[in-house]
Amino acid sequence: MMCGLNFAGGSEFVAIELWRTPPVLLLIAGMTFLINSRHLLMGAAITPHIRNLSTRKALLALFFMVDETWAFGLEDARSRDDAQGKGQLSLPFYFGLAAGLYVTWVASTAIGTVIGPRIGNPDAIGFDMAFPAVFLVLIKGLWKGYKAAIPWLVSLVVACVIHLSVPGTWYVAGGTLSGLLTAYLLSGREEC
Amino acid sequence: MLNTQNVLTILSMALVTYLTRVLGYWALRNRTLSARATTVLEAVPGCVLICVIAPAFTSPRPANLIALAVTILAATRLSILPTVAVGVGSAALLRHFMG
Repeated sequence: MMCGLNFAGGSEFVAIELWRTPPVLLLIAGMTFLINSRHLLMGAAITPHIRNLSTRKALLALFFMVDETWAFGLEDARSRDDAQGKGQLSLPFYFGLAAGLYVTWVASTAIGTVIGPRIGNPDAIGFDMAFPAVFLVLIKGLWKGYKAAIPWLVSLVVACVIHLSVPGTWYVAGGTLSGLLTAYLLSGREEC
Repeated sequence: MLNTQNVLTILSMALVTYLTRVLGYWALRNRTLSARATTVLEAVPGCVLICVIAPAFTSPRPANLIALAVTILAATRLSILPTVAVGVGSAALLRHFMG
């Protein structure tokens, strides 16, 4: 259910890590917003290419905007760029991509739910290490040099300290905000 | 499993995610962000991801910490599936032999 409606992997991984019974709604919703805030930039970048769509079609197309559909769709649209650089997004191309991804996404989740309970004790076979492993690869994908990674390091240290001293899942919010503050201060220093 | 609180949380996630997708289109379509705002926004996903796995770094079990180091090394060289395999495998082996 989460996958069908939300359709954004990174934030779902985070939600599962943070999930308690009962879940802390505000914290999870807040982190979801932060993780997916890259869509803000992506939406802004694709806007010139969907100007000819009706608002209704544009809003539907945006629901299916993920890293993959965005990247391929934008590349395809740019290949038709005219002098003003306003090549239009091909809807059949875009929704074909989106449908393929969406079906795979939901289908693999269904398979996981069936197989999951039969695996046995996940700790003994080291299954919980799959999580940090996935995250580390995702982080590597974002790698843009050591300087850009300074805020991440600050985030990590602050999050570790909060995790050891404050119960609950506040370490994510605290660590993230301190990292962002670092990024803000660092970029300010460069401009001076 | 499907109690009200869980459903509400998932629904609010869906709403918030959709909001990020549409807001960029609505709010930013006619302006360009400052370099500073872009830098901060670009730092967001990495900061969030690393915070979420921070508890793995504070584990008191040496086996877990060594496995984590092995996984980090694997992540810098391999793609996602081999890295998961190395992470899971090393954690299982180290826990088995070191407790």
